[in-house]
Amino acid sequence: MAAPDICSRSRYSSMTALEELNRTTLLCRDYVAEGLSDIEIGHSFRSLRVLCVSDLQNLSSHSGQTALVTLVSLLSRMGIQVGLAVPDVAMLFPQPPLSGSSLRSALIASSEIFVTGATVRCDSDCNPDLIFVLGDSKIDTGQANSWRLSGSDWYGALKMEESVKTKAWTAEWPIGSMVSAAMAANEAFKFVMRRLPLRDPADSIFFEPSPSCSWNFGSLPIRSQDVDLGEVDLISAGAISQAALYALMRLPKVFMWGRIFDDDVTGRSNLNRNMLTLVSDVGLKKVLVVAQRCGTKLRLEPVPNRFTHRPSNPRTLAPRVLVGVDDIPSRWQVQRSAPGWLAVGGTSHFSVSSSAHLPDEPCCGCLHPVDDPAGANPIPTVSFVSFWAGLAMAVRLVREALAIPYSRNQQHLWLTPLRMDLPHAGMWSPVASRQDCPVPCFSSTASCSKR
Amino acid sequence: MSVTAEKKFVVELVYNGVTKPLQVEPEEQVSALLQKAIAVFGITQQPHLLSLFRQDGSVVLENESIERAGIKPGEILLLRPNAVKGGSGLLRLAKGIVPTTFRTLRECGRGECECAAYWTGPAAENLVDGIEHPIHTRSPFGYQVDDNWLTEFWRRLAASKRSVKVQIHTHPGHAFHSAIDDEWPIVSQVGFVSIVIPEFAAGEPSLERAWVGYLQEDGKWRRLTSAVEAVIPA
Repeated sequence: MAAPDICSRSRYSSMTALEELNRTTLLCRDYVAEGLSDIEIGHSFRSLRVLCVSDLQNLSSHSGQTALVTLVSLLSRMGIQVGLAVPDVAMLFPQPPLSGSSLRSALIASSEIFVTGATVRCDSDCNPDLIFVLGDSKIDTGQANSWRLSGSDWYGALKMEESVKTKAWTAEWPIGSMVSAAMAANEAFKFVMRRLPLRDPADSIFFEPSPSCSWNFGSLPIRSQDVDLGEVDLISAGAISQAALYALMRLPKVFMWGRIFDDDVTGRSNLNRNMLTLVSDVGLKKVLVVAQRCGTKLRLEPVPNRFTHRPSNPRTLAPRVLVGVDDIPSRWQVQRSAPGWLAVGGTSHFSVSSSAHLPDEPCCGCLHPVDDPAGANPIPTVSFVSFWAGLAMAVRLVREALAIPYSRNQQHLWLTPLRMDLPHAGMWSPVASRQDCPVPCFSSTASCSKR
Repeated sequence: MSVTAEKKFVVELVYNGVTKPLQVEPEEQVSALLQKAIAVFGITQQPHLLSLFRQDGSVVLENESIERAGIKPGEILLLRPNAVKGGSGLLRLAKGIVPTTFRTLRECGRGECECAAYWTGPAAENLVDGIEHPIHTRSPFGYQVDDNWLTEFWRRLAASKRSVKVQIHTHPGHAFHSAIDDEWPIVSQVGFVSIVIPEFAAGEPSLERAWVGYLQEDGKWRRLTSAVEAVIPA
């Protein structure tokens, strides 16, 4: 795999890539030394070479294919150069936004369609900085830092090459494979951060490699019949909603219908994290892009407006609502209009907040009680953090539809995916009812009246 | 010989998934623990937004001692963003504040002049339980608060450990925040709330038609879509 020859590209192309990676650069600025330019930070990502390896057996399952596609997408959206050492196999299920019937061809065709200059090439002889290996695929040891992605339907793991014996990917459901892909993308991000000077050397603890890590969303029996998620409205067509839909589209025999609200247009700075968006979508309404990519499996009516709460007609939303909007007062408005179950996904720098709320439970106003004025500013984000938020939201929706929701003690998940090898990377908790809930919800008013 | 009991204990602080121990004393204020936690993790990005959370999801109140907050040895506390601090917490309005304010503004402005009032409350709480009607000059196009009254007002607030929570004034026509309103709030603190009542407060005593906004970090005012995003009944 050849490094991109930035010099030979037009200056315009280079500046375009910087614009597309703008939010990732902003996130790095939480920790990198003052004085580093955007060009230097961007170049650290764009010069990283990652090789993804799999044999035929590991790509013979939908979970293995999804692990590879998701990993390539998350890496590309950080501007990283990806090499593939994989056999060509038929795609078992659609993998939007990729198209085509051959997996390897579709991945190679994805070169530079996620982020300008982020290439995907079929090249096993590329002197990679990092190698990611699917399941028990064989590789020559002793090359670069390498990790193995493994897992099952709901569980994903990532382990350094020397530490393990892993099994091949065989799972039918790909939640675990998307988990392992997100953890692998995180390792690539931290590798870049370790090459950059930090403002405070003590912060290097956040970017140390994870020798072995895993995450389990909680195993549920996989149904042989269709899973109908019913009518679902999505508030926002941004990164978190797109990640949720990306995940839901990959679940076999899962269907839903509803609406998606957003008045925004796709910008270049969205490409680093919007999983259903391509470079060619810049300038298009987000809802139109998303509805088109979701097709008939997740039938979404695009509503190119902001959702507005009407006090005179408060219950105007579907029985299930997914909220991916950053603006906190907007979350309160949606909560006031939601007649039933509502899930909220959000990110804050390197952390993810995921919650679900039934009408009689403490609501999203109890969890996010005060507006964040910084929310109006450009938000620092990176592909895998937003992806975790959407993936967690998708899992909550499926569990709700299967009538096996998380317990009250798991109403909120605060997850920081940097060091998934540490015991408190993800913390589940109940949502505490607040007397000063801004919605205000039934739970908060009931707790007030008890006092 | 007197024996001094060892009261210090260790709590576990979690930030960005990383856990660090910190020694605390029961009498220590939670706010001091929070500052230590921010220092231990070297956080420079918007540290004022961070709070400590227990594993049951509840926030640890900062104006209490560690003992009163019920923090136990070995307890795991999550350091994560909560909210805007510095006065922009959701304000709880004591009963009668809105109608009393409307009556004051109406009686003073008499349908032809602007008028102002300040909502006040205990400095340590997000509660509005008092109204101050300043001495001011007035006209159909504006008002100016008397300097001496203002000085005396600040003294009174300090002595009673109270603070101004909201400034509220009337406009002749529709409600908006003028350039002068933007530039001269009585409090220039992030999160400070300003309310403008239309038509010299002649309408129903309600904030439904009011302009409600707060001061952002960048010094600009942000309009809220609804008053309930800033104030709720106590």
